[in-house]
Amino acid sequence: MIDISPDIEFKKELKRLSKSSLNECMQCGTCSVVCTLAPEERPFPRKEMIWAGWGMKDNLIANTDIWLCHQCGDCSTHCPRNVKPADVFSAIRQISYQHYACPKILRKIVNRPALLPVAILIPVIIIAGILLLAGTFRIPDGPVNYSKFFPHAWLNSSFSLITFLSYSFAISGLVKFWNDLKRSRPEAKPKNGLLISLFKNRSGILSHSKFGKCNTQKSRKISHFLVFYGFIMLLVVTAFAIIAAITHNYPLAFTNPFKILGNVAAVMLVIGLSIMILNRLINKNSINSTYTDWSFLISLFILSVSGVVVEAARFLNWQSAYHLYFFHLVCVWYVIIYLPYSKFGHLVYRTVAIAFANSIGRK
Amino acid sequence: MDKKLAVYICSGCGIGDSLNVDKLLQLSSDEQKVTVCRKHKALCSVDGYNTILKDIETEKFHGLAIAACSPRVKTEVFDFPKNIIAERINLREQVVWCSEPGDEDTQMLAEDYLRMGIAKIKNISAIKPYIADSISSDILVIGGGITGITAAIEGAKAGYNIYLVEKEKELGGKLNSFYKQYPANEPFNILIDPIISDRIKEINSYKNIKVYTSTTIKEISGQPGNFDVILLNGKEVKIQVGSIVTSMGWEPYDANKLSHLGYGKYENVVTNIEFETLIKSNPDIQLPKNILFIQCAGSRDKDHLPYCSDYCCSTTLKHAKYIRELNPESSVFVIYKDIRTPGLSEEFYKEVQKDNQVFFTKGTVSDITPENNQLKVTVKETLLGDDISVKVDMIVLATGMTPAGTEDMNLTYRLGKGLPKLKYNFSDSHFICFPYETRRTGIYAAGAVRAPMDVASCLEDASGAMLKAIQCIEATKRGESVHPRAGDKTYPELYMDRCTDCKRCTEECPFGTYDETEKGTPLVNPSRCRRCGICLGSCPERVISFSDYSINSVSAMIKAVEIPDEFEEKPRILVFVCENDAYPALDMAGSKGLKYSPYVRIIPVRCLGSVNKVWISDALSCGYDGILQIGCKPGDDYQCHFIHGSELTQTRGENIQETLTTMMLEPERIKTEFIEITDYYRIPDIINSYVETIEDIGPNPFKDM
Repeated sequence: MIDISPDIEFKKELKRLSKSSLNECMQCGTCSVVCTLAPEERPFPRKEMIWAGWGMKDNLIANTDIWLCHQCGDCSTHCPRNVKPADVFSAIRQISYQHYACPKILRKIVNRPALLPVAILIPVIIIAGILLLAGTFRIPDGPVNYSKFFPHAWLNSSFSLITFLSYSFAISGLVKFWNDLKRSRPEAKPKNGLLISLFKNRSGILSHSKFGKCNTQKSRKISHFLVFYGFIMLLVVTAFAIIAAITHNYPLAFTNPFKILGNVAAVMLVIGLSIMILNRLINKNSINSTYTDWSFLISLFILSVSGVVVEAARFLNWQSAYHLYFFHLVCVWYVIIYLPYSKFGHLVYRTVAIAFANSIGRK
Repeated sequence: MDKKLAVYICSGCGIGDSLNVDKLLQLSSDEQKVTVCRKHKALCSVDGYNTILKDIETEKFHGLAIAACSPRVKTEVFDFPKNIIAERINLREQVVWCSEPGDEDTQMLAEDYLRMGIAKIKNISAIKPYIADSISSDILVIGGGITGITAAIEGAKAGYNIYLVEKEKELGGKLNSFYKQYPANEPFNILIDPIISDRIKEINSYKNIKVYTSTTIKEISGQPGNFDVILLNGKEVKIQVGSIVTSMGWEPYDANKLSHLGYGKYENVVTNIEFETLIKSNPDIQLPKNILFIQCAGSRDKDHLPYCSDYCCSTTLKHAKYIRELNPESSVFVIYKDIRTPGLSEEFYKEVQKDNQVFFTKGTVSDITPENNQLKVTVKETLLGDDISVKVDMIVLATGMTPAGTEDMNLTYRLGKGLPKLKYNFSDSHFICFPYETRRTGIYAAGAVRAPMDVASCLEDASGAMLKAIQCIEATKRGESVHPRAGDKTYPELYMDRCTDCKRCTEECPFGTYDETEKGTPLVNPSRCRRCGICLGSCPERVISFSDYSINSVSAMIKAVEIPDEFEEKPRILVFVCENDAYPALDMAGSKGLKYSPYVRIIPVRCLGSVNKVWISDALSCGYDGILQIGCKPGDDYQCHFIHGSELTQTRGENIQETLTTMMLEPERIKTEFIEITDYYRIPDIINSYVETIEDIGPNPFKDM
């Protein structure tokens, strides 16, 4: 039994973010029928559309299904009332980032176009501060050697710290999310806890099996696959680089397998992101692209391209190498710091949602 | 007396290829003694028509038979002076297109149809229409709501004098108590003021509309063209009108029967009409914050009204819209079974849906309990994935429409004072085939007395019914049947010397054509007649006939057929076919090239209800092996154009079966089938399987007697 008291402000926010006249939904269920991912029991997105219309924030936020959607846009394409369920889902996810964000201020900074300068300034100040502390905040002489500009110890320890902090905040949001999910489906007892569920579910996520079920935009699976693995490979290479900096000679030789892996990953990222950006530019109608979408895609794209450029600058001994390196580091920090608050957060929320869904047998 | 006749046989459209036309001509002249017998390769051509016309001038014959295509086609071509009896013999659709070409049986079929056609001409007379002496062109409109007012205006615009009668003091009906009306056209985001006051003003600008308010009807007698009406408003006013439009409106369903939805239990539970009246009387009223609407309150419910009342969904949307406009703080909840907003009303639904504080869900209200001055409503089977409970300050029940009773018309018909009703008590008016027509010729139903409907539909109904009323007057002036046999100028003629006052005709006529004396003698009102011939079929004394359709004419056709003896193994099956659906279905089967047994001999009848028992016994004693009757569907959703003709066939069939038993004949020798016009593809199966049944039983033992 649900006691109804509609959250009108939430509803208005959803309408604003999704640009959907969502109350015009007439509950025909076409969206759930055309969706290849919707489960047979309590399928989405029909029920979410009426929850949205009734301003039922709690039901929508603590809901696996908004994350089970892979945003192909079939529902919006076929909606007879043109209420764009895909965009409503996207808006609910945005509100979820906000809801589970900790501290909330970071979400606000990353999510408002007007605060973009602040968002950029934060990593700039942090990096500049570290460099000042290390006493290396100047252009070194001689052939390009980035460690002269940013000593390995300082770089690796500060990077690890920032990453750790960022992931900790993400995890606190995730735990809250997991508990909300359990509360929302008291009748469905999850078979395992969060960690085991995550582990059990690795193959589905790693193979992108759900993605392949979406009918429209087949290229999305390829691009997402490239970006997903490109990103993971770079994380692995970075971790290795941190160790290598302590135990081996760093930088790695061009022929070192990890260097090759890193370069391949960079190319994968650039190609994958280019396809994503082009798709969003071409398919303007089926899915509405928000500021969050663009800021995430573009920051990741600039991060990848600048990484390649910085590497080239080192080998070619460019004059501006250190400036480019600084810029690249800002990009890296930007992406890492805002991970739980930007669209990047879907990486963690979706993973948890899929894990929960599987642990309660929702397929 | 031998009539001088002519036969024209067309050899076009494959008739000449399939039949030996010369043999048919020979039969006409030698056996049937027809004076003029001609063949032509295309009778419908200018040359063919002129040939016939020239003969009519020079030969001075009484009647002619055109053996060519179906009488349903080319009626505008084969149009001859009215003093000539012209009969069409269907050699194309029902002989050559449905039988094997060049076959002996096909030739025999054509020969029999020639004999039948000629027999018919010999037994009918030229038509002289019935036209009353003084026919009134004035029209009475009963009920001064939006429908009646609109009908009156439409009639006045067309130049007819209108009497508009309203029992209340004021014109306007239900719309008088409306605060707003929902839009029927663009723009859909604005509610409109009720149109009724403008319409009432408009009425006054027509000199040919006479309005009687606070007036009831004491009596209506007579027939189309001559209805005598006595009005009562303190004194008696006698008027005469040609036709009548009934727009007596509706009443809301009695909400006292809806106590399970809180009505009568809690004072803040009201009906939609009560709510509308409340706002109309006090638009500045302080509306409560949360208001919940229950749709289909007592509608589409087997325990209450089983039907949809059409107006309630849009009315609730209207209420939601003005509640939100009058009190921006309010929230409106709508619990529905289905939101039904047909046509452009869907745009209005979408407009109301745009509001952030109007909430819709399908659901069933299972419980209402008071809680701190509020009502807690529990709803099951919602779209929200769970049962819900909402606390509200007011509940509005969207109740349906029930038709006003029509007994106040005080008709002096022997079949009742009001209009006959359909199963939901709305006056019977078979809308798909015959819009606005009631079972009382010349009286047309419009608006919510006919079917549940909203204002926009009422306006349309008003025009439609008024046009039918005008059509009725004009047809009556020409002595024609109005509908469904539009243009038929025959009418029932009674040979009273033989009448036994058995009352069958007066009881069985679905349209109340017959009044009767105290003794029970039928008094015919020809203008009320729809020319179905059900009375002709009912009469045991065979006293009723039409000039081109009578006991004798059909009997003659039955007897004209050459019945082969039992050793030839060529059974003969007489098929009575209703002209309305079955006959055209047979034509369609022919034109689609569907083949069926050539052993059938088809006689079109006006309605299965017009088949007289004597034709059956004639056929059986002539030696037909079986009799098949094909007509329209009876029952609640009847398709019989004359309401219960097919039903009568069934009840009379029981008597006929008794006759068969006394004649020691098998019951299968008579069979009735019901089809729709679109069932043409079933024709071969219906006919062939019956022929097989008859072949199995064997020949009629009376064949050679």
